[in-house]
Amino acid sequence: MGLSVTEKLYLYDSLTSNPVVRPDGRKPHQFRPIEVFTDFLPSANGSSRIIASDGSECIVSIKAKVIDHTVEDELIHVEIDIAGQRDDSPQVETMTSLLNNVLEPRGGIDVSKLRLTKRYSFKIFIDVLLLSSASHPVSLISMAIHSALNSTCLPKLVSSFDDLEVEELPTFHDYDLVRLELSAPVVFVAAIVGDSILMDAAAAESEVSNNGLIITWSNGKAISPIRTVALNDSDVKGFDPKILQKAITMVEEYAPDVLRALNNA
Amino acid sequence: MSRLEIYSPEGLRLDGRRWNELRRFECSINTHSHAADGSSYLEQGNNKVITLVKGPQEPSSRSQVDTAKALLRISVNITKFSKTERSKTSHKNERRVLEMQTALVRTFNKNVMLNVYPRTLINIEVHVLQQDGGIMGSLINGITLALIDAGIAMYDYISGVSVGLYDTTPLLDTNSLEENAMSTVTLGVVGKTEKLSLLLVEDKIPLDRLENVLAIGIAGTHRIRDLMDKELRKRAEKRVANALSR
Amino acid sequence: MSEVITVSTRRGGFQQFDSIADEFEEDEDVDMSDVDEGESGGEKSGLQIVTPGELVSEDPAWMRGHGTYFLDNMTYSSVAGTVSKVNRLLSVLPLKGRYSPETGDHIVGRIAEVGNKRWRVDIGGKQHAVLMLGSVNLPGGILRRKSESDELQMRSFLKEGDLLNAEVQSLFQDGSASLHTRSLKYGKLRDGVFCQVPSSLIVRSKNHTHNLPGNVTVVLGVNGYIWLRKTSKMDSARDAPSGASMGSTGGPTGAKSLKADSVSITRLEEESSWQIYVDENDPTITNSVRQTIARYANVIKALAYCEIGITQERIVSAYEASMSYSNSGSLIEKEAMESLGDDVLNAEKMRGSPL
Repeated sequence: MGLSVTEKLYLYDSLTSNPVVRPDGRKPHQFRPIEVFTDFLPSANGSSRIIASDGSECIVSIKAKVIDHTVEDELIHVEIDIAGQRDDSPQVETMTSLLNNVLEPRGGIDVSKLRLTKRYSFKIFIDVLLLSSASHPVSLISMAIHSALNSTCLPKLVSSFDDLEVEELPTFHDYDLVRLELSAPVVFVAAIVGDSILMDAAAAESEVSNNGLIITWSNGKAISPIRTVALNDSDVKGFDPKILQKAITMVEEYAPDVLRALNNA
Repeated sequence: MSRLEIYSPEGLRLDGRRWNELRRFECSINTHSHAADGSSYLEQGNNKVITLVKGPQEPSSRSQVDTAKALLRISVNITKFSKTERSKTSHKNERRVLEMQTALVRTFNKNVMLNVYPRTLINIEVHVLQQDGGIMGSLINGITLALIDAGIAMYDYISGVSVGLYDTTPLLDTNSLEENAMSTVTLGVVGKTEKLSLLLVEDKIPLDRLENVLAIGIAGTHRIRDLMDKELRKRAEKRVANALSR
Repeated sequence: MSEVITVSTRRGGFQQFDSIADEFEEDEDVDMSDVDEGESGGEKSGLQIVTPGELVSEDPAWMRGHGTYFLDNMTYSSVAGTVSKVNRLLSVLPLKGRYSPETGDHIVGRIAEVGNKRWRVDIGGKQHAVLMLGSVNLPGGILRRKSESDELQMRSFLKEGDLLNAEVQSLFQDGSASLHTRSLKYGKLRDGVFCQVPSSLIVRSKNHTHNLPGNVTVVLGVNGYIWLRKTSKMDSARDAPSGASMGSTGGPTGAKSLKADSVSITRLEEESSWQIYVDENDPTITNSVRQTIARYANVIKALAYCEIGITQERIVSAYEASMSYSNSGSLIEKEAMESLGDDVLNAEKMRGSPL
């Protein structure tokens, strides 16, 4: 979306004024409302669909497979598909690598919950379909993954945990399912405009942002990856390290509310 | 496969339908009003399909400009998670998918009044979230609905369905289990006529049975047209009532 | 409800379907020679709703308008919409669709491309509109001749991304529009924000620029593109009683003496200098004006969400109703938008205003 020079100037002045005036009147930390649908794909173990108020939309499917973790150690596999983009386009590749980083086991996710026996584990395939997006989609995608994992149920193990001696595959209950209690990190994007920090920047706000910060939130704390991200292709500038601290503080203050809303609603 | 009885002596199929019954068919339009000019969501049995129509709009490159009519582009995205077993490879450049796209473009090129929109591009994206046989028919139905929702002029509805032939009995609206067990034919029919705008016969089928198969297929597509028409009218009435009261 | 984010969830469902299938449960003994008999639904409202392929009229005397086609002396519908019969013209108006320009429309557009002696302008239609170099006022006076150097510096007047308001001057054979800005009320837009609504919600009227309470002016483009800005001196002069004849198209406007403080011939002279293409905002826009503009933008989005036609009166009425929300940021919630829409409609019923 290309804005005119005067639009950009007006927006920049509004967003850097005190108090900040966002074009839709939101407070700096306020998010736009979202709608979440879960469990609509019966052929998947878990599914979710998030629609933002600007029409951005993301669909996530979770499928599980039993693997021998002594042979294969990757237990979580994320793939992103952005509508209208080739699988090898730079945007798809950066987004895939970013989310693989976010869902990295050493970070927020407790992979031990995927352990079935001493030898076998569930491997989780997370497929993301981004149908449309107006601004940087990583936050929306991570919320969709979070909700999909929350809704995921896996078959109940009935064979014994210790199977190193007996050479057999784990067996499962015919219909009983167990809820997978895997809490995935949620990613926040903070837009930096002058000295102001904005959560959930809309398309026009992203357009005048000097820079953006990706902050990952898991189990009540900010974790890596934390990094900068360009929210537009024209006006990217450096920023004061103090801003980073401020942005993390803001996420720390409001992330619990967001997660509560996501988990309870 | 041998254990499964595709068509029981009592005349029941695997999912309990009779030979001439459609699967559950539900649809809605204007599902993605922010993202596209026209949109639809369709469930035909376990097929779940989202269709987005963008346009008629200014083509992004000069090579897409036709001074006499609009250019119609259709891309079919079959997601990796659409089947029970997740597929390892992307379906994007599969020959089967490219063939489907070509067949769909040909079908709709004739039906959409492209001459009304010179120098424009109509871009159609179809996302298959879940598939369970007869997917081509569902794609046709989804596209028809989304095109109408976008207000794009067309001569008539096109509705699609697959019909299988089990021994000598035609089975309407096959699911994937049935599709794997027998020869199937997919057809796309124009409105309430008996005109076929698409016919796909990819398996061996005895010619003397084809007429029966087509007859039940055409009846099935007419029923689907009526279901789609009903949904559209319902929406239209709501909108008109809304506009009058306001 | 959280102050930070609102999440609404539904489990198990993807889309709501009202059961439409129930009436189709009878056996599948389809009569193969089924003939299409025009369904007679939706006529309670007095408007006839038709869908593609449906017979609209067997009378060949009708002239066929948009949304119809002709086959064997019969007229069929090509879109889903309502039948309109005006004089001898039979057409079907689609329920939805992109903006189609008509001569005289006051629109807001965004420059998409700078070409040879012309700009291509995104107006939210099926095709970009064209703005010829000869159809704009250039710096140095209305009667100045265009030169080659003007062609070379087109980007210094209007460049990609720039917003302007203009009038549809004429239509080409293929339905695309040619614009002009040869009046002081048209031209580059500044001092505000852009928002967009479906074009069907904007009703064509005599005047599309309105001064609103709170020192804000709105330009309601017929194409659904809307510009909200701080009221300028020009804007206030337009509303001044004797200045009503402002900016009649292109002609020697200077001959009329406009009342008032600042608007005079010299002012017009100034307006037609480089000033009209400058990329600067009014430096005096206060924070409170910015907040008012944000509130108006939300109010307009709420009206659009409720599919209520957007007029000056309704914007003002909704703006007043919105004051019960001290923070205009809460107007992005669905419930708030719905209740605002209801407030506006109820207020209209109470006042018994037409429409």
